[in-house]
Amino acid sequence: MENNTTVLNDEFLAHRLGLIPLVSRNAVYWKRPFEWSGDNDIIETAFSLDVMCEQDGVMDVTSNDLVPLDPDAGVVPVNYHSATEKPIVICKMRRGQHLKLVARARKGIGKDHAKFIPVATAVFQYKPQITLSASAMADMTDDEKQAFVHSDPSKTFKFNPITRMVEVENEESYMYDEECIVKARELGRPDLVTIRQVQDHFVFRVEGTGVLEVKSIVRQAIEILHKKCVDLETLAREAVAIAKGQPLPERAPAAGADMGPGGHMDGGMGGGHDMGPGGHMGMGGPGDMGPGGHMGGMYGGPPGPYGGGPGMGMYR
Amino acid sequence: MEGEATDFFAATFSIEEEDHTLANALRFFLNKNPHVAFCGYSMPHPSEELVNLRVQTTGKVTAMQAVKAACEDVSQVCGHMRYTLQEAVNKFQAEEAAARGKR
Repeated sequence: MENNTTVLNDEFLAHRLGLIPLVSRNAVYWKRPFEWSGDNDIIETAFSLDVMCEQDGVMDVTSNDLVPLDPDAGVVPVNYHSATEKPIVICKMRRGQHLKLVARARKGIGKDHAKFIPVATAVFQYKPQITLSASAMADMTDDEKQAFVHSDPSKTFKFNPITRMVEVENEESYMYDEECIVKARELGRPDLVTIRQVQDHFVFRVEGTGVLEVKSIVRQAIEILHKKCVDLETLAREAVAIAKGQPLPERAPAAGADMGPGGHMDGGMGGGHDMGPGGHMGMGGPGDMGPGGHMGGMYGGPPGPYGGGPGMGMYR
Repeated sequence: MEGEATDFFAATFSIEEEDHTLANALRFFLNKNPHVAFCGYSMPHPSEELVNLRVQTTGKVTAMQAVKAACEDVSQVCGHMRYTLQEAVNKFQAEEAAARGKR
């Protein structure tokens, strides 16, 4: 931070800068700050921001004012100089105020800091199977049917004026709030609708922040889980070989390629060669190859994949 | 001594630098295995990246084999999902392109 005469203090600005989402399509090839990296690996790229307000009235410092010092890295704030979208406001200044700083963008994942999470929300639910009983509907008046349709806040049902029946409009939008069931009971027709969860079919909704394409997010999440398994299997085999005093099995070239030398053998050894009766096997888990934050699944834990947007730190 | 450890029918695996992401997935697939009598995992402390995965089998397979099978199951599910996702995305994009072409 070279000069800051704005109304916001340094760490406040640092916090705001850190939250700016950066397009991270290339971030898969980067390494996180504490990961093992060689000389050819990219760990960070820098941006500079140099804005002075010379006009009367309030001036906005936005994400468009961030200038990448290395344009080839391909890392820019989301909606950078977009014709259609507004940029992110970092701070506002009046005449005479000046802001000059250098910001470094690094790769991180959701576990490091929530700012690296590449999704706004990721939630899943089981697909509902909704069955409406025609015989129950036969006894109901049109008003009652309309009331039933309107009782559901997520527009799952609709009233068909031609057949005068209640129909399912969109099964997937049902959110398992049981408003419609309560309403059916109120109307004296508890058998009108039966809803059950289909156990092997779920609906997974992911909303991205623009940092990565959503399909990349999901694809990378699957690959990360897959890689964890493969690495675990490799290390298990090695742990067994060590335990038996045999030569180590050949490592498949892809597996563990990014592991630091000896970093994980130590894990295997240190983890517990107390072969007590319980049969403890210490295994070095695979090093974090930028793996997911929690696949929290149920409660919308985001699948934090590779390249959760590089966050920005301030360089004083 | 060490050689016998791999033939146990009950074992606790201490996996470092892993968390619920992998452990829960493995636990789910271990539970599906008919030869596994008990399976569970715990994280002794959330600040420390260590997971203890406990597996007890009926004796038909060793604990090690059960865990390996679970790993492979997770891998296969991942592979299948990746393939199906890719197909679905391609199909969707083709439909979008066709719809745009018509307009």
